[in-house]
Formats: sequence, C-alpha cells, structure tokens
Amino acid sequence: MRRSHRRRLAAGARYLVLSLWGVIAFFPIFWMISTSFKPDTQWFAWPPVYFPHPPTLANYLNVWLGAEEYAATQYAISSQKPLVSLLNSSVIAGASTLLSVLFGSVLAYGVSRYRILSETRMFQLLILRMIPPIVIVAPLSLYYSALGLLDSRIGLILIYFLTTLPYAVWMTKSFIDEVPREVEQAAEILGASRWRTLIEIVLPLIRSGLVATFLFILILTWSEYLLALIITKTDVTTLPIELSKYQGTTEGRVYGRQAALAVGITIPLMIVGLLIRKHLARGFSFGMVRR
Amino acid sequence: MRVAAVPAASVALPASARGLSRARAIRRFRWAILAPLVVLLAGVLLPVLFLQLYFSFHQWTVYLGSWWDAEYVGLDLFREVLSDPRFGWALLRSLAFATASTIGCFLIGFALAGLMHKPFPGRTLYYAVFILPMLTVPVVVAYTAEMLLYQSGPINDLITRLTGIEFKPMWLTNPDLALPTVMLLEIWNWVPFSFIIMLAGLSALPREPIEAASILGASGWRIFWEVQLPLLRPVILLALVLRFLEAMAEFPKTWALLQGGPGTATETVPVYIFLTTWQYFEISKGAAMSYIVMLLTIVIVLLAIQLLRREKRSLDAMHESLATAAETTP
Repeated sequence: MRRSHRRRLAAGARYLVLSLWGVIAFFPIFWMISTSFKPDTQWFAWPPVYFPHPPTLANYLNVWLGAEEYAATQYAISSQKPLVSLLNSSVIAGASTLLSVLFGSVLAYGVSRYRILSETRMFQLLILRMIPPIVIVAPLSLYYSALGLLDSRIGLILIYFLTTLPYAVWMTKSFIDEVPREVEQAAEILGASRWRTLIEIVLPLIRSGLVATFLFILILTWSEYLLALIITKTDVTTLPIELSKYQGTTEGRVYGRQAALAVGITIPLMIVGLLIRKHLARGFSFGMVRR
Repeated sequence: MRVAAVPAASVALPASARGLSRARAIRRFRWAILAPLVVLLAGVLLPVLFLQLYFSFHQWTVYLGSWWDAEYVGLDLFREVLSDPRFGWALLRSLAFATASTIGCFLIGFALAGLMHKPFPGRTLYYAVFILPMLTVPVVVAYTAEMLLYQSGPINDLITRLTGIEFKPMWLTNPDLALPTVMLLEIWNWVPFSFIIMLAGLSALPREPIEAASILGASGWRIFWEVQLPLLRPVILLALVLRFLEAMAEFPKTWALLQGGPGTATETVPVYIFLTTWQYFEISKGAAMSYIVMLLTIVIVLLAIQLLRREKRSLDAMHESLATAAETTP
C-alpha cells in the first residue's frame, strides 16, 4: 500500500520536472511564433502581449513576399529578398549535404569492409569538424577571392561539404556496419565488382540510414552562420544571413518581421529533426553507443 | 543486430595468383576512394593553412596594398598577441563560457535522460519537445532571446507575475549579466545534445551487471554510482568533450546578440578574432591569434581522441565478453 503510494508520488514528481523543462524549452519557440502573428503595436507593448489579438499575416506577407501595403512605412525594408535567400539556402545546404553523404558513404564502406582508414585516422577526421570556423575563415576568404569563389554558391558548398564530411562518414559507417556481409560475399562470388556491390546492394540496403544522415547534416548546413557571413557578401546570401540583416536596420526593432522570417527558417528544420529523432543519437555518438 | 567486424584485409590469404590479384584490386579500390579526399584536402585546406601561416609571420593590413609583398616580422605578431591583455581576457571568457555551459548542459541533459529512459505515457511527446531547442537555428535563438529578454519583456514579466516580486534585471545591457545570459542561451540551445547522447547511453547499458547488483542487494544509489556511472563513462566523456569544443567555437549567438558588448563583457575568443580581422582589419594579428587557437584546439582534440579510443576499446572488450558469456550460458 505505502509502496504504491510512493511510486505514484515519484511518477508525479517526474511529470512535474519534465513538464517544467518542457515549458522552458518551448516558451522561446512559442514566443517567436506568437510574435510573428502580432500587429506592430504589440511587438514590445507593456505589459507584454502573449497571444496576438487579432492575429495578422502582415509580417509574413511583408517579409516573404515584400507586400508593401501591409507594411507600416517606418518598418518597410525593401532591399531584402528572402525568397532568393531561400533558394540559395536550399541549393547550398542541399548540394553540400548530398555530396557529403554520397562521398561519406563510399568512404564509410571502404572503412567498414576494407579498413581503408584506421580507427585513429577515423577519429582524426573529426579535427575537420572541431576546428572553430573563425580560425580558418580569413585565409579561406582570401584564397576564395583568388579562385573567384568568393560570394559564390560553389565556394560555400565546397567548405560545408568538407566540414560535415566527418559526421557523414561516421554516421553512414554505423549503418553499413549493421549490414550482414553474407549478401556482399554472395554478390562477389557471382562476379560483381566492389563498386557494383556498393551501389547496387549495400547503399540500397541502408537507404533509410542515408536519408537520416542527409537530414542530420542538413540541420548543420542549413543553420551555418559564420562562414556564410564572411564568404558571401551580396549575391549569395543564405537565410541566417538574411535574418541578421534585419538586426542592422536603424528604423527600430522590427520584432514581428524578424519573427516571421525566423519561423520560416526554423520550422523546416524542426520538421526534419522530428522526422529523424530516432537517429540523432547515432549522428552524435561516433560509435561510442552500442545498441 | 550486431555483426562481428572481421576486416577482409586481415583475413589470411593464400599466396596464390588469385589472392595477389585480389589484394591488388583492394588496393586499387582503396585509392579510388581516398584519392578525391586527398585532392580536396590538399586543394582547399593546405593553401588555407599556408596563407594563415604566411600572415602570422608577415605584417599586413588591407591598407597596405598587395599582400604578397608584406613585410616579414618573424615572431612579432605572436609576441603581440600573447602580451595583449584583451586576448588573455577573451581566452578566459571563452574557457569560463565553455566550462559553465558544458557542465550546465550535461547536468540538465543527464537528469532529463535519467527521468526519461524507462517508458511511460507521454514519453514521445516530451522527447519531441526536448529536442526542439537544438533544431532552432543559432541566429534565431539570438534574436528570439532579444525579444524575450529586454527589460520590460516577457521573461521578466512572467517571473514578476509568478513570484510577486518586482524582477527587472537588464539581461543584455548589464555588463555583469551579459556573459551569464549568453551561457544560459547556450545551455538552452544544447541541452538536447547531452540529453540525446545520455539517453542513448542509458538505453544501451547492458542489463546483466545491474540485475546482478540488485540481486546482491545493492541500493538504487549504489547501483547508479558503482555500476551504471562507470559503464557510462565513455558516453559521458563524449558528451563533455564534444560540447566543450563546440562551446569554445561558439560565435553566432554571441555575435548576433551582443557583438562582444556591452563594453567587452561578452568578447570571447571567436568574437575577438572576428573584430580584429573584420573590423580593425588587422589581418595578420588575427591570423596569429587564429594559429594559436587552432594549435590549442588540435592539442585538445588529439588528447580527447586518445581518451575516447581507450574508452571505446574497453567498451568493445566489455561487449565481447558479455556476448561470449551469453553464448556459453544460454
């Protein structure tokens, strides 16, 4: 009797603690979404307005479509082009992530089956990821300007590809390690080359793993800030840089507009993250968590 | 499913013609894969590292014309950086920032993982909500924080209402509070990372030792301290090391929110390097600083790799012995 009472108390305490953190985790996101629907008088009203009344789409229409008639004139920012940035972000994040996963999975296959990199080399590959970007960005931008890659999509794609490669190799390797080798051996006996085995047997077997890896790395490339800030100037802005332009405007704080843009940048990422929630641990754990 | 990883190359091959041609084919396969990687690293990273080295030994700013005939100054720039108190402070700030936020992330993440690792109704929902902060773009975190934290903003309003006490700290403009505020943001942003890793670590714990301990009559606390915690060591190490390194490199939130201000209150190493290079245009000094930071990071990473590899070996060995024990006693 007392035991079950205590157990119920413990369960209640658990829900309390978890819900408390749930509120802390979600409140900023709620505030961003709520602000994006507020008319400009409620952006920093006192007392703060928690739920927009009436909710308005003006922020979205103004920010994303440049609809001037919805803009209070002092907040109109005409020089921005978020749809172009959306395209840039999609192309850059998409292409660099795809390269990273394709190349990473081939490398991972070689490591998993033929040890083409030792375990030490595999760990050393992580240096590529762990060097702070600020440390290389200045010489990189000079080098890029010499190559004519400054302010180009190719430039960003290349550097994102290199800096996310360690994650791609480690993550795809963890999937390939789980594929039974008998299938490949059968293919080899039937005379298939290693490349054919890889492309026609192994990669299709881990395709859900490849998708998970793709989405995992997309989270990193989609939100990257510093390299994009320096390497792209005007032509090729990505969405995080587009958002930071709103901060520099002197017309005053344009919270509603910022929030509308921020929601548009963040929601796709949240959907992606929730889709692969079961694989996130694998992406971060570098073989240190055994299932 | 676990498959014994027997590397094909280590399988003893008969020294027949067929074996030799197979070995040659594997070598060719290996280089077909590695060559593009080597070319890319040599094509992108080497020139960058060379340029950085060049600038740390040659005094050049954007006003000085073409960079290739900049004056050679030996170790002067390194001396300048190492005797610059602002750099020292930035380094201290970065270390404090990274240490505090790593510990914060870890403790909260581990606690949440501990509460979550047994199934209960609503677990999936909590999990989904808990990982959301990590999926928020860092720049968005910074701007949302500004909307939340201004003096008459919602956070202060909520705390005032809930506690009934007038609560009006200036989170972002008070120099004593600005760095702790950014730490809190970093913790909010990255608790999910520690949470996910620790949850995976807890779920992957072998059940046998824990059951054995509880049959022997050990209390819950003793099992936690003396069985679970030692088994979790590799995962804990990983969660701490990766988070610390990422926190040392944190730039987007600190920069977008405060640009190192108020004063120099949030001027961490990445922010100071950014200011030196892109606002004071002291490219060479920035390069020297970068070099120091890069060497420091590489040393830390190599040390961490040593540690992680040792842990991974003992982890693998433990799983092997558990597997063989399970085979012999069905």
